[in-house]
Amino acid sequence: MSHIHLPDGVLPFWLWISGFIVAILLGTILSRFTKREDLTKRLPLLGMMAAAMVLGASVEIVPIAYHVNLTVISGILLGPSLIFLGTFVVNVILALFGHGGITVIGLNTLTLSIEGIFGYVFFRLFWKILRRLTPATFLATFLALLLSTFSMIGVVGLGTSHYEEMMHQEGKGIFEFNLLKEKGDPHQTRVAEKEVDLNRFMAIVIPLGFIGWVLEGVITVLISRYIHKLKPDLLRLGKETA
Amino acid sequence: MIQLSYLDYSATEGKSWLHRLSPKWKIIGMAFVLSAIVTVRSLPGLLLLYAILLGLFFLSRIPLKIFSLTLYPLIFAILFIFISGFQIFFILLVFVKVLCGSTGVVLLLATTPYPSIFRILGRFLPPLFVTALFLTYRSIFILLSIFEDTQHALYLRGGFQWRNPWRSLINISNAFGHLIIKGMEGSERMYESMVIRGFKNKIYYRGE
Repeated sequence: MSHIHLPDGVLPFWLWISGFIVAILLGTILSRFTKREDLTKRLPLLGMMAAAMVLGASVEIVPIAYHVNLTVISGILLGPSLIFLGTFVVNVILALFGHGGITVIGLNTLTLSIEGIFGYVFFRLFWKILRRLTPATFLATFLALLLSTFSMIGVVGLGTSHYEEMMHQEGKGIFEFNLLKEKGDPHQTRVAEKEVDLNRFMAIVIPLGFIGWVLEGVITVLISRYIHKLKPDLLRLGKETA
Repeated sequence: MIQLSYLDYSATEGKSWLHRLSPKWKIIGMAFVLSAIVTVRSLPGLLLLYAILLGLFFLSRIPLKIFSLTLYPLIFAILFIFISGFQIFFILLVFVKVLCGSTGVVLLLATTPYPSIFRILGRFLPPLFVTALFLTYRSIFILLSIFEDTQHALYLRGGFQWRNPWRSLINISNAFGHLIIKGMEGSERMYESMVIRGFKNKIYYRGE
């Protein structure tokens, strides 16, 4: 749900260009925090986790248009710098399969990395406080997804004036397109009807998102417990485990 | 996503003129399609572009099985229509843009082997990023083969059943956990073999 499933050409030019600029800047800053040697060594691991995220994206729950992201568990395992590069790679590959537009790769990277980075931060924080794997993972996932969904709504909201402009394009363009126009429809009424309804969008996205946050939270908890049982070192929890 | 391997097979084994066309021209073509999607706001203009892309799709003799991939993004576009207050023109515009974009990229990927695309991307993107892209793409196929084995184990443990959602969730999560652990072990082996073969932050393609 946190992924912006918008096609190319719907968001305004300035918005997606800014998305790319901010993503590249953030990626450059975060990569400074990782040693070059460490980055090279962990590149195959990043590739594997990114591949798992791509595969997770293929598990579609059609009625609620939700797919498993695995971003939080990847963030916990990779750390904040690598998860950013990981989400960038995931978005490029997904865009190459037609899953999300190419121009929105930057914005998608920013929203998806919010999930990964905050997932990591929240997990460490809740682990320190609670010392229990299940609630720490669930709360970290739930809150990280909530944050990224609201950032996605924010991004969609920033393009409001652009959508209105697009709606008023009817009949303009290369050819006149009159097939769908109703005869005798007063112009004023039609203009009033053509307003972007962000509240309706939120009313649809938030309840569906809530189901997704809970579902992803449960799946992340179960995955982390499975990893904890077989390879506890991967979670880097220290000596005390739950 | 299982269709990925089929997409890759189509790109390497296809013999049509679009398969034989230089990847450079296909990427330029894709950039043209993309700029048209971004700038054109006329529905007939976009429908014309979609018709051209469909024509190319069928002329390239790409297996019909792959066509469903181009329709996949519509699931999400349906969510987006609520923002417009059900304006038919806007909905059609968004849908045709979605279809043009997805058909364009699927057409590119179904007729061009991925190393050729990554080689061209490597000319203007940082080597580290292109290497990460390459390794991710390679890892998808490694994970898919692990997933095939895991599917049998999942089936024996009850698989996915709507009647027993909790058991199903545990099974799916265990499958992903298994994939992650096996993937990590695989990534360590992959890194070791890459270092033995002289890997130094960059993957070189044939002809470089």
